[in-house]
Amino acid sequence: MASSLSPSLPTIFSTLISKPNHRSQTLQLSFFPKKLPSLFMARSADNGTGGAAASAVVEEKVESMNSPAKIEEVKDTEESLSSNGVAVENAEVLAFKDPRWVGGTWDLTQFSKGGETDWDAVIDAEARRRKWLEDNPEASSTDDPVVFDTSIVPWWAWVKRYHLPEAELLNGRAAMIGFFMAYFVDSLTGVGLVDQMGNFFCKILLLISVGGVMLIRKNEDIEKLKKLIEETTFYDKQWQATWQEDYKSDSKN
Amino acid sequence: MAAISSAMAAGQNSDFLGLRLASTSSEARNANRRRLSLQIRASKSSPRLSGRPLRVAVIGGGPAGGAAAETLAKGGVETVLIERKLDNSKPCGGAIPLCMVGEFDLPLDIIDRKVTKMKMISPSNVSVDIGRTLKPHEYIGMVRREVLDAYLRERAAEAGATVVNGLFLKMDSPPAGSGESATTRYKIYYNEYNSKKSATGEKKEMEVDAVVGADGANSRVAKEIGAGDYEYAIAFQERVKIPEAKMEYYKDRAEMYVGDDVSPDFYGWVFPKCDHVAVGTGTVTHKSDIKRFQAATRLRACDKIAGGKIIRVEAHPIPEHPRPRRVLDRVALVGDAAGYVTKCSGEGIYFAAKSGRMCAEAIVEGSAKGTRMIDEGDLRKYLEKFDKAYWPTYKVLDVLQKVFYRSNSAREAFVEMCADDYVQKMTFDSYLYKRVVPGNPLDDLKLAINTIGSLVRSSALRREMAKITA
Repeated sequence: MASSLSPSLPTIFSTLISKPNHRSQTLQLSFFPKKLPSLFMARSADNGTGGAAASAVVEEKVESMNSPAKIEEVKDTEESLSSNGVAVENAEVLAFKDPRWVGGTWDLTQFSKGGETDWDAVIDAEARRRKWLEDNPEASSTDDPVVFDTSIVPWWAWVKRYHLPEAELLNGRAAMIGFFMAYFVDSLTGVGLVDQMGNFFCKILLLISVGGVMLIRKNEDIEKLKKLIEETTFYDKQWQATWQEDYKSDSKN
Repeated sequence: MAAISSAMAAGQNSDFLGLRLASTSSEARNANRRRLSLQIRASKSSPRLSGRPLRVAVIGGGPAGGAAAETLAKGGVETVLIERKLDNSKPCGGAIPLCMVGEFDLPLDIIDRKVTKMKMISPSNVSVDIGRTLKPHEYIGMVRREVLDAYLRERAAEAGATVVNGLFLKMDSPPAGSGESATTRYKIYYNEYNSKKSATGEKKEMEVDAVVGADGANSRVAKEIGAGDYEYAIAFQERVKIPEAKMEYYKDRAEMYVGDDVSPDFYGWVFPKCDHVAVGTGTVTHKSDIKRFQAATRLRACDKIAGGKIIRVEAHPIPEHPRPRRVLDRVALVGDAAGYVTKCSGEGIYFAAKSGRMCAEAIVEGSAKGTRMIDEGDLRKYLEKFDKAYWPTYKVLDVLQKVFYRSNSAREAFVEMCADDYVQKMTFDSYLYKRVVPGNPLDDLKLAINTIGSLVRSSALRREMAKITA
């Protein structure tokens, strides 16, 4: 069913459909040693479909996903404990293959766009590689080691792609909050913006709102922050436990 | 930042298991709790033992027990070391740091291999070699536990300790609250295995003045004193005999695999042993999936261990943090029984031996070389000393675990960071010598920036990856 979906489906439908498939992918992982060939085919097709709908570079992804799908099955084995890894060795393993992945790293010359490297495409390609490997872990090999380091992508490429949109969002929120709070306080107290800035209480409010905008970006963040704070001192508490109970029982006496 | 807050993957149990103290201990707790006020000069105020030296039973003959027994015996204390299996080959990674060889005067022939290279492999198989910064005389020693344990016990016996092959069953503590508790002895019950008499051993009892519990992760002594529970990891390991040619690769190299497939909160390893390798993994939070994790570890290493034969399968619990109570009256826990295993690396042999030695030193000092009775204050001095000396190491490793073992993206960043020379130098310095030495502040700042950069990049990639399936 999944393979019949065309890449032109609207994103939302493929999201709905590929979610259950994603769950079944996880189930397949748990039966790892007993994989059947048909499951492999379905899974790689899923990857192709899901990826196609989401990423801009459609054709290439489907291509690179489907070519490994043609390589067959890991031999259906029972866990043969006496011969480690022999079963996997004999079959042709589904491996990550991409024409631009050369010698354990991305060949930057293949990413050029108008004379310069297209860093966004490098980031996309690496994300796809990691996703593939997360779903289909591969044996690491010493003859063909992976030596890619994300730091070859220059800092400004990361900033442009990830930091700036988020910064815009947060600044926008801060500006909206600031404008309305200034208006609100002014209407209640008659204190203008310049005089508000001189007031200590208003400065505290400003600090809280900026901090809040920075730290709490999604609804879930509030719980996460609370858990984080508890987590930072949890280990210390475990170590102090042997001293705590001494003080506690002392105060009982 | 989003990555750090969004990943609570390790699922730290907010239910603080440790503080649920066993109810049986409530009586014992009331005894002699004034020590905070009178303190320090315990040895001067405790009664002199007339006509006999202090007698201490060390339960368990591993590194902790062996080290404790040796130091006690050398200090003039009458020591009995009770070990249930004298040829026990405890499932263990078997790695000891360089400082242990020096501090415990270990002969070099008990070290099977000197590992000088380590390979860290990330979830996407990015592999980094660490060990470039090691000096020629520095290495991680790989030992066989049966050899190390037997050697330490032998040294204890030579120093004057009596080694008994027996299984500790239970003990009678002095009744709490009574005035006599300062001098009443503990009575320990054990099965002595004497092959001449019977197969199951004969029941014996012994009166001792103090007990050192060195009997490992499932300590009975800990149960006796109501020490409480700890969270523990299951470490599962297969010993694999691989062909000579492949063994050459592992001659002095150990490997560490990180990834959600291999373990959600620990790592998978391939450690070389005397003539085979140990392939294993561990987990705290997903113990029921350990076989799956092991299969994944074998897959990741499959090219390098292909054609190997599994000669042994073993598993063992590893404590994650100390027990809530490590000392009660004149009973102290050391080693795994106390829970002295670091996070992140899961290292325990050195700390077991060191804590055994420190506890023994505190007993020797508190009893003025075996001439006076000791009390809980003396044993607490050992706790103080140990906590003070090694707390920074434990805390740093805990922080590393929390930051870098949370998710695949954090692990990718971790492996990327390991490629840096400064990181390697700091890591090895702190591992080999158990010192947390602050380095050059400028380099530290650069390291902090690089770490944040790595984490931010991999979490950005993680967001891209999430978009792919969404």
